[in-house]
Amino acid sequence: MTDTTFNGAAPDGNDKASLGSAWRWLLRHPPVVTFSLIVLVCLVVGTINTDFWQVSNLFDILRASVVRGLFALGVLVVLASGGIDVSFTAIAAFVMYTVTMLVTNLLPGLPMPVILLVAAAGGACFGALNGLLVHTLRAPSLIVTIGTQYVIRSFLLTFVGTALFMNIPGSMEAFGKLALFTHQSANGSISILPAFVLVLAVAAAATWWILERTLMGRAVYAVGGNPGIAERLGYNLRTVHIFVFAYAGLLAGIAGIMHVASNRLANPFDLAGTELEIIAAVVLGGARITGGSGSVIGTLLGVVLITLVSNVLILVGIPSTWQLAIIGVFIVLAGTVFSLRARG
Amino acid sequence: MQLKHEAGAPPQGGEIATAAIPYLEIRNIQKSFGGVRALKGVSLSIEPGQIYHLMGENGCGKSTLIKIISGAQPADAGELLIDGKPVGHLTPVAALAAGIETVYQDFSLLPNLSVAENVGLTQQLVAASGKLARRLDLKQMRQTAERALAAVNLPTSRAFLSTRTDELPMATRQLIAIARAIASDARLVIMDEPTTALTKHEVDNLIGIVTRLRAKGVAVLFVTHKLDECKKIGGRAVIMRDGQKVAECDIADHTKAELGFWMTGKVLDEARYRSAPKFGEDLLSVDALSLKGAFANVSFSMRGGEIVGITGLLDSGRNELARAIAGVAPADAGRIRLDGKDVTPRKPADSIEAGIGYVPEDRLSEGLFLEKPIEENIVVPVLDRLRGAFGILDGRRSRELAKRSVEDLQVVTPDVANPVQSLSGGNQQRVLIGRWLTINPKLLVLHGPTVGVDVGSKDTIYRIIQRLADEGMGVIIISDDLLELLQNCDRIMVMRKGEVVETFEAETLKEEALYRALVEETTARTPQ
Repeated sequence: MTDTTFNGAAPDGNDKASLGSAWRWLLRHPPVVTFSLIVLVCLVVGTINTDFWQVSNLFDILRASVVRGLFALGVLVVLASGGIDVSFTAIAAFVMYTVTMLVTNLLPGLPMPVILLVAAAGGACFGALNGLLVHTLRAPSLIVTIGTQYVIRSFLLTFVGTALFMNIPGSMEAFGKLALFTHQSANGSISILPAFVLVLAVAAAATWWILERTLMGRAVYAVGGNPGIAERLGYNLRTVHIFVFAYAGLLAGIAGIMHVASNRLANPFDLAGTELEIIAAVVLGGARITGGSGSVIGTLLGVVLITLVSNVLILVGIPSTWQLAIIGVFIVLAGTVFSLRARG
Repeated sequence: MQLKHEAGAPPQGGEIATAAIPYLEIRNIQKSFGGVRALKGVSLSIEPGQIYHLMGENGCGKSTLIKIISGAQPADAGELLIDGKPVGHLTPVAALAAGIETVYQDFSLLPNLSVAENVGLTQQLVAASGKLARRLDLKQMRQTAERALAAVNLPTSRAFLSTRTDELPMATRQLIAIARAIASDARLVIMDEPTTALTKHEVDNLIGIVTRLRAKGVAVLFVTHKLDECKKIGGRAVIMRDGQKVAECDIADHTKAELGFWMTGKVLDEARYRSAPKFGEDLLSVDALSLKGAFANVSFSMRGGEIVGITGLLDSGRNELARAIAGVAPADAGRIRLDGKDVTPRKPADSIEAGIGYVPEDRLSEGLFLEKPIEENIVVPVLDRLRGAFGILDGRRSRELAKRSVEDLQVVTPDVANPVQSLSGGNQQRVLIGRWLTINPKLLVLHGPTVGVDVGSKDTIYRIIQRLADEGMGVIIISDDLLELLQNCDRIMVMRKGEVVETFEAETLKEEALYRALVEETTARTPQ
């Protein structure tokens, strides 16, 4: 681009110019910033406590990333369209508890794929309702989903139940125990990488495909970039709004079942209050809170970063109460760096 | 230029009546917004391969007509026929599928998507009839984009195709918008005010593109109020006023004055408002003011009672310069002195304190509190001076001040307690000017003072500007309305690519010369 004579990096010396272009490249590829933070945390923690470098730690982080990751992919799609969703934890709690209860009481032999399908459909229905409300009321999605979050949670606790389910259906328990890899360390301790991490992998691949390889995906970013222009160009806002919230709901439903399968209990009070952490992970991965940007790979890295900080700081003697502060600093840092993009 | 009323009855279409069915025919289209009738029954035929200029003042209904043709809004009544067949009301996708493409004034590019996506996605959306659950054909998108970009002489490299459009200069964005319009088999390309961001070379390029489209049988409809450019391009003029089509004719058969008369309903008065200026002491001196990426090394000085105009294309830096002087978006180097004191603003409050009033270009988003009463809008900058006992706002004084201001500026309103949104554009603008007069500014910066203002109000605003200058105030007008600058200013500075390249004495300057200076090029601007 020979833009304007005084615009952009002045070529006053190769070093400075290449540094400038590297910086700009970095700003255009936010996941690199996220990845660098992950490496930084690993190096610092690993240097202080060499126990960090264990396969079991890696497995733990991956295992703990599944539910967060599923939520985050849904949030990514909503954020990319210019909306925001805070009701997904309530949807997940409702779906996981209700499905677990129904399966346990009525159809104890239901196979796992069917359970997942039902949970996904239930979540998608709640999500579609969000989308429909956001579109028809022309209300800010933050407000609408705060409202539906409360309604769904209250409905669950009032009408469905508050008691824990300790004995979850056999198929769910088996699914949670299914191992993808088993690793035996030198001291004989065995660590297992559960097979349900594959659910996140499949969901990530599907989300990537939808966002990058379908008209719907492009429409999501188009609406997030500028809804007025997108509508003028023929993108159907109603379809996009309903799709993004339904998709977030669908992933939330699946995430709820994953949560039950990995914890082997269904607690209707679980997951509440983790919304901001998930949104933070997506923003750490480079999505803008104002919409129109964000990537699957960045989102996954953001989730890993959040999970890493919550899981490993204990290894270097940082009390768990301090984790939040560190996450907070990262968010402010990443938010500042990414907002530099906008200022050019 | 004076024109007698015997310009004759405006001609009404049908002069080129042919046996062939027109591509697009609109019959008696009507549209109202609330109580306002934007279109009062407009009919128009579009023939293939013809060039049309839809002309009219702001608010005459031409934008509404375009929105109906492009499917952005449904008409209340009337018929649309494509190839002689009624089509009911069009949706955006249906209009695109019928071959109606629009290049909007704001270009309507999606800022966060790539050049290839902006150009090539529409075709796939239309092919899918607007349904979104479809696979994206990346290869086809790239090929479509390459072909269309080549047709408007833009690069087709991978790097350019994957650039986000908000990283490109205005003129390039406009060409991308045109490329999108011709990417599929357009039969009618509507261009809404296409030349506001273009240099001479780029305008010539645009005319070349239009000629090629025409040769392929594509009709082109320009929406414009620039008479000079219409005359240069040629074709048929469709003139609208007050929601109605008042004339349709071959543009070459009529003079600018006649066209202008039909557009405004008034005899075009190009007389200067400025007469016998009295300059006072040195007032403002701007010294090497720079803002990276916007303007560089801008220096000028002016005296009290002087009116200085600043103009340039959209990306010339004129807007940023205005905002820098007002402290809205401060400069990063250089200084501004007012009455010899350094007042270089870092925030808007600095400017206000120094005595610089700034009337922004976009009244609605930058200036006025639309739902608030006129009174509150006027007294905002002097609230602290209106404090009575216990620091409570003295309502009586506030009301008096607002009333005086409203009378002074001839704002047409029964009550200063009415919300600003109840006023017309011209009256809103006067409220905004009135606001800044409450601080008794030494310097008033007017950014596009008559954008979206009707002709009658323009006259009033010009007279106010002249009176303020006569009273010794310095006035800077930033505008792309060349006639406005010629009529009102003592000096006119022309900016290109962030620099002041020429300064003219307005009194002896011809519009043509000013226009040439505006669109002249210093170096090639085509992206690589």
